[in-house]
Amino acid sequence: MIEFNDVSLVYPNGHQGLKDVNVTIEDGEFVVIVGLSGAGKSTFIRSINRLVTPTAGELKVGGDNILDYKSKGLRDLRTKVGMIFQSYNLVKRNSVFRNVLAGRLGHTGTLRSVFNLFSKDDKALAYESLKRVNIDDKIYSRADQLSGGQQQRVSIARVLTQKPDYILADEPVASLDPPTSHQVMKYLRKVNKEDNITTIVNLHFIDMAMEYADRIIGMRSGEVVFDGPVSEVSEATFEEIYGRSIREDDLRGGAKDGEQDQ
Amino acid sequence: MANEQPPKKHIPTEKKIKRVSIAAAVLVMYIWTFMSIDIDWKEAFNRFASNYNVVVPQLFSPNWARAGEVIEKMIETVFIAYVGSLAAAILAVPLGFLAAINMTNNRFLSTVGKWILSAVRAFPEIILAIMFVVVVGPNPFAGILAIAIGSTGMLGKLYAEVLESIDMNVVEAMQANGANKIQIMFHGIIPQVIPEFLSYAIYRFEIDVRASTILGYVGAGGIGTMIFFAYSNRNWSDMGMILLVIIVVVTLIDYGSTYIRKRIV
Amino acid sequence: MANKINKPGLNDDVYAPMLSPWRAKAKISLVFFIILFFLWYSSRTTGVDFGDLIMGFTNMGQIIDKLFPINMDVLGPAFDRLIETIHMAIIASTFSTIIVIPVSLLAANNITQNWFIYNATRLIMNILRTIPDVVLAVIFVGIFGTGPIGGIVALFIFSLGILAKLISETVEAIDMQPIEAMRASGANTIQSIAYGVMPQVAPQFTSFALYVFEINIRASVVIGLVGAGGIGQLLMSQFSFNNYGAVMTIILVIFVVVVIIEYISTKIREAII
Repeated sequence: MIEFNDVSLVYPNGHQGLKDVNVTIEDGEFVVIVGLSGAGKSTFIRSINRLVTPTAGELKVGGDNILDYKSKGLRDLRTKVGMIFQSYNLVKRNSVFRNVLAGRLGHTGTLRSVFNLFSKDDKALAYESLKRVNIDDKIYSRADQLSGGQQQRVSIARVLTQKPDYILADEPVASLDPPTSHQVMKYLRKVNKEDNITTIVNLHFIDMAMEYADRIIGMRSGEVVFDGPVSEVSEATFEEIYGRSIREDDLRGGAKDGEQDQ
Repeated sequence: MANEQPPKKHIPTEKKIKRVSIAAAVLVMYIWTFMSIDIDWKEAFNRFASNYNVVVPQLFSPNWARAGEVIEKMIETVFIAYVGSLAAAILAVPLGFLAAINMTNNRFLSTVGKWILSAVRAFPEIILAIMFVVVVGPNPFAGILAIAIGSTGMLGKLYAEVLESIDMNVVEAMQANGANKIQIMFHGIIPQVIPEFLSYAIYRFEIDVRASTILGYVGAGGIGTMIFFAYSNRNWSDMGMILLVIIVVVTLIDYGSTYIRKRIV
Repeated sequence: MANKINKPGLNDDVYAPMLSPWRAKAKISLVFFIILFFLWYSSRTTGVDFGDLIMGFTNMGQIIDKLFPINMDVLGPAFDRLIETIHMAIIASTFSTIIVIPVSLLAANNITQNWFIYNATRLIMNILRTIPDVVLAVIFVGIFGTGPIGGIVALFIFSLGILAKLISETVEAIDMQPIEAMRASGANTIQSIAYGVMPQVAPQFTSFALYVFEINIRASVVIGLVGAGGIGQLLMSQFSFNNYGAVMTIILVIFVVVVIIEYISTKIREAII
């Protein structure tokens, strides 16, 4: 369970990233954060694994306040929280398999990992993760030989290999075309349902938000301006969150059932 | 967790053989090296222990009394480098033209030219210096010749590369317009290559300053002679001063040269 | 660029778009005069003038006289010492390649967050790079005595400076995002470096390692002249005995071997990148 209690974050340059955020996310929820650029979505997500550090308030993940954590605590926290990025963040020259195994780094001793000595269980887990996102046939290809959608799926496989309790996704589909975007979101939902992993996703496409989320949190200028189940949401809600009317590029479009890419 | 292991990675046989043979070759090379090198470690350690206190503290307390002499010699060194690399910068121009394929339009000539330049490049300057000392006697002149010949090799090759990468459309246009070879060269080619030629010449000058510092060791002038004497007399305090001056001067020249080169290109 | 259909006149500097006409001429003339001044001043100081220089080149024929006929007796020992030279280069290159891994990471501003360590490392490496190989050799021969040990240490330090600069620049240019991802999944610093930095730097690293090996071979020959072992030492001793015939033989041997090694190394480097 994740609890934000009066969390605020002021950046060193004075900009207010988060303001008095009070949110509780139960285990297993699929939450989508929406808002314009700079609204605080990224700051919100990155606070959960302490890639950024809130300057006030209390942030509890799994019952403990993570704001006090030092290096060992941080490492343990981050092994429990998997993250997917907009630019996939794979090591391009490494093989898919090696990239996915990197998900076990937090669990493996330094010396063994440097010499690439992962346990059999780890390797089996990595293979299993690849199969779950249907990309096991590319297991030994170099990461940069794959398309964007495939790379993002490898990212998901890497996160799965971590066996996390939470999955964060920071604009996971912004660089992908519509059909591929839907495919990736489908995988995220599938993992969320099958493994009951709490999933928090940043999106700025409102149609995708409405399609995939259980719950939607809207942010503006660092504050939470909407927090409720997707059933209560309509386009009008978004206009309130954004503070302006909906535009063409706020919508993703694309086929509802994503085409298979190569 | 009854999970299966991933399939084995399939590496084509050819690649496997390549990898194994490279690994084997490297291993053999290392075994050969470490078995043949005949070092008496005990002796080395003893010498280190006994010499350390003689050498190092003195090295770090340079002999300021001779600063004037050292600086003077260093200036001589820089000038040797300067004249030598200047001569090379000029000499290398025709050689560069000869070696550039698009200038001679003769594959054979260009390849021969490149081979000659590579051959000259292979000679470390100090060895050239030895040869020239034999011929013209132990004076800075030998040093200048050594630098000049040594640098011509590298500069010639670089010039040829620059020439091969210029925009030939300009030349074509001039040819179509009726210009003769000389006019084309001066108005079409030279303006395009001068910044890069200059940049490489200055870069080579940096290297030549370093090289000139040691030519004196074999009698070819410059601060190298002082190095020789300081070493023979085991005068480490003098050596410290020499080292200091070299470091300062080379650093200054490096900075200056980088600055000028940025402004040119 | 000039349009082929509208052919401008020959004196129009449309052909040299990089330099505008009179400004370029002024610049070049200025540079020319500065060069001439230095030339005049330097020839006065060294007591040499261009006339002598030209004469010197025409005297090259004398080289043939004094250095030939070559003395083949020295070939045997020459090969032995040559092998010693190559060994020195191999050992020095190996050690500097290994040590440069942590050093270059310290000298890369995207890895080292500590301002002091970063600048201190860079400063030391820069200073080491300005010291000519022979001067280093003289110092270490002074400490270790004549023979290959002093030479190996000198080469090690010499190539460390060069490698550190090349590799730290490569490290500073890598993509940091995969490393962010790894830290976000709980990897510690060493793991992020091994899995994120190393793979990105690997091809350049190998190329630079071979380049430095080439440099060390040449330097190894040269430092032998001051007593650091190898074929250079043999050359120097023959030189001081005025055995110019032997000197020429050794020079030729050096020449052939250096060319061969550089050729092989360049080929390998081309194959990697």
